[in-house]
Amino acid sequence: MSLTLSAFGLLTRARLGKDPRRSPGAVSDLVTSHLSFSYGETLAVDDVSITVPGGTVTALLGPSGCGKTTLLRLLAGLERPDGGSIHAGGETLSSPNRVRPPEKRRIGMVFQEGALFPHLSVAENVAFGIPRDSAREGKVEQALELVGLSGLGTRSPASLSGGQRQRVALARALAPGPDVLLLDEPFANLDPALRVELRTEVAALLRKLGITSVFVTHDQEEAFVMGAQVIVMRDGRVLQSASPSDLYSRPVNRWVAGFVGEANVVPGQGGGEAAETLVGPVPLAQAAPAMCEVLLRPEHLTLAGGGAWEIEQLEFYGHDTLYILRGEEDQRLLVRAAGAPQYASGDRASVRYQGPPTVAFDA
Amino acid sequence: MPRAPAAIELARRAAGIRGPAWLWVAALIIAALFAVPVGYLVVRTITEGSDTLEVLFSSATARPLANTLLLAVTVSAATAGVGTLLAWLTMRTDLPLRGMWRVVCPLPLVLPSFVAGAAFLAAVSPGGLAEEVLNPIGLEAPARIEGFWGAFFVLTAVSFPYVYLPAAARVGALPPSLEEASRLLGEGSLGTFRRVVWPQVRGAVQAGTLLVFLYVVSDFGVVKLMGYETLSTNVFVNRLYNAPLAFSLGLILAVVALAVAGLERASANRSPAQLAPGGSRGRRVALGPWRAPAMLAPLVAVGAGLIAPVVVLAWWGFRGLAGEGSGFDRTSVDVSALGEPVLNTVVAGVVTAAVAVVVVLPLAYLTTRYGGRAAGAVHTIVAGSFAVPGLLIALAVVFMALKVPGLSFLYLSLPLLIFAYVVHFGVQALRSAEVGVATVDRRLEEAAQTLGAGRLRRLLRVDLPLMTPALAAGGGLVLLSTMKELPATLLASPIGFETLATRIWNAEEDGFLADMGLASVVLVAVSLVLTWLLVIRNSEHLR
Repeated sequence: MSLTLSAFGLLTRARLGKDPRRSPGAVSDLVTSHLSFSYGETLAVDDVSITVPGGTVTALLGPSGCGKTTLLRLLAGLERPDGGSIHAGGETLSSPNRVRPPEKRRIGMVFQEGALFPHLSVAENVAFGIPRDSAREGKVEQALELVGLSGLGTRSPASLSGGQRQRVALARALAPGPDVLLLDEPFANLDPALRVELRTEVAALLRKLGITSVFVTHDQEEAFVMGAQVIVMRDGRVLQSASPSDLYSRPVNRWVAGFVGEANVVPGQGGGEAAETLVGPVPLAQAAPAMCEVLLRPEHLTLAGGGAWEIEQLEFYGHDTLYILRGEEDQRLLVRAAGAPQYASGDRASVRYQGPPTVAFDA
Repeated sequence: MPRAPAAIELARRAAGIRGPAWLWVAALIIAALFAVPVGYLVVRTITEGSDTLEVLFSSATARPLANTLLLAVTVSAATAGVGTLLAWLTMRTDLPLRGMWRVVCPLPLVLPSFVAGAAFLAAVSPGGLAEEVLNPIGLEAPARIEGFWGAFFVLTAVSFPYVYLPAAARVGALPPSLEEASRLLGEGSLGTFRRVVWPQVRGAVQAGTLLVFLYVVSDFGVVKLMGYETLSTNVFVNRLYNAPLAFSLGLILAVVALAVAGLERASANRSPAQLAPGGSRGRRVALGPWRAPAMLAPLVAVGAGLIAPVVVLAWWGFRGLAGEGSGFDRTSVDVSALGEPVLNTVVAGVVTAAVAVVVVLPLAYLTTRYGGRAAGAVHTIVAGSFAVPGLLIALAVVFMALKVPGLSFLYLSLPLLIFAYVVHFGVQALRSAEVGVATVDRRLEEAAQTLGAGRLRRLLRVDLPLMTPALAAGGGLVLLSTMKELPATLLASPIGFETLATRIWNAEEDGFLADMGLASVVLVAVSLVLTWLLVIRNSEHLR
């Protein structure tokens, strides 16, 4: 099942029933400043100031319980902030005193479990948010075509597969032509293969539509595929917002480094443009203090036969091989090399850094 | 088991008969017994010579029939409104003390309708609580509660929990994300209720309303007390002097009950829409300035359905205990005289419950394990017997014992009373037993089989221990219903066999208000405990 490209054309012209009074292309940023919210004693969102650039997809990434879903619900107007505010296009959407109700925000949302109305057909679900007029039926058909479900309008949600349900949920959220689209781990309940397929489609669709979107996930890969910008959250706070590649190559701390990918963090002695580590000199993107910890991504390390490291274990993944090395002082090091295994476990090897300038953290 | 020849097997399949033959033999015998009372009602009406159609269009019928329908429809409508409102308030809004209201709202179920009716009458009777409270502050106590409005008020007050319970369970099970999705798609609070919540809850409300309808058409006590003429009072009055007329009226009553039950079943959505797993974080509707006033709704409902009647009854009962006269001789009470009715109530109730559980077990196995149309038909017979008023079932079995040769030894005997109870309330045990059977994973039985356990050992060591909670709950429901049942007990009890229900009734008729009050308080206390154990504790999802 794939999205019909012709539907893109239809949609970009009509923007799916977008309010004609608004000037086309006027996509404004969604901004929160010093937003906070707590459930009882727990501070779920703690002084969060982010900017979701208009017309692009921002991924909110974090482990479960980090407050990313709560932040999304605050954006939707489903919760009232304890402090701070949310703005879009010069208008205040939320503040502790006043919350514009969700039905007056022009924000669409795709829930983790779809939240399709079980008593309505697929078409009725999609039509739910569209005003009753002559254009309604056309808009429903258009939205269904967009997500590749043309002709399934009469089916009941219960008769659909998990992936189809999330497509309907997406069509329903897009059909009224919202200014902002929120997606709360929409693929979390799908099996892995389907998840990958659907996220590729949805990423392409959102980019084509140019709709301001916020995508919540705990999956680093998904965040990187979906987001032009990725915001990493932990314990209610924003740790970093950056493009996926910046986030991967320049994480702000050890925790982010490990959360967005495999990471070796080794002690280093720096001071200048490079640091001396147990795999030799490593180039640094920024000057580091004399005592630091240096991030070495496993794929930036290369092996050579014979040396101080013992290959303790190896895992062959097809496209590459992961070596788990043990040093003389019992240090561990992960090395990822393309292709089939060149060494066997028990072999000895030496390691060198062969990657771009990396980052160092305060020790 | 030897395999049936192919032709028989095909015929069985075509008839929707699945499952072992011995189970079917047992099920058919039981189903036949359940069908006996209504069958006799039909046969008797035909052979008695009184033309039902003629009776139907005669003035003797038109008025009670119209009254019955008017009362049943209005009470159903009122309870549907009250029950749904309370369910929404307690489960979906920021109503203060909602945790307490959720526990309290089902409680009027413990009060038999005739007891509530008698309590309201006692309150306004001369020397009653209404006078005592209202006169000193210069208000006139209402002279009398009676007729349609009296019956409407009392029946609504005690039967709204039949709607509240299923509606609250359903509202509580709704994933909040449905309502949130609706709001994000541009609907306001009211529109969300109308377009999303109500369609989900309607089935539950409808099922609860059906129970109320059946409750009202089968009610005898309240309408008799309020002097409101319905089919049931006419059946009761005519059974001795004009049996043919009583049977014809009874048949009409049974047809009304069964027709409505059938219609509801036909219109109900068989496969309730599958709900998405609920998100845990709910959004409560903020009542704003209505938050405090909204508490009036549950307060008035529970006040009328439970608190006020119990206070009145306790007041009379304790006055009697204190031996305080009030110008009436009949206000003192002999506590020791309550011993026998309590014992009789418990014996009849417990035996009925035990028999019902044993009898429905084979049916539960058939409907749950094997299913099929034939098993469905068996279930329908048992369920239909609940729709038929207890008055009619007792009437039929009593006359049958009297008229059918060879059965006279059963006339007004305890086994006959228990038979009537089991037929009327059996479905309550059946539903629970079906849940119980369904909880026993077939693989457990297969595991026991591979370990060499025979059928009996499997039943005793695997099935029964696992089903015990469900069976006990079903038996308890039957016990509770039996205790509260008035007309069947009045009609079919052995002479001199007084239960709490009949004692309350007789004391009311004789004007022994203190006796009535005390017996009622005992009955309510016992049902309260049983209800707590069976209904409230088992509905943890309401919390």
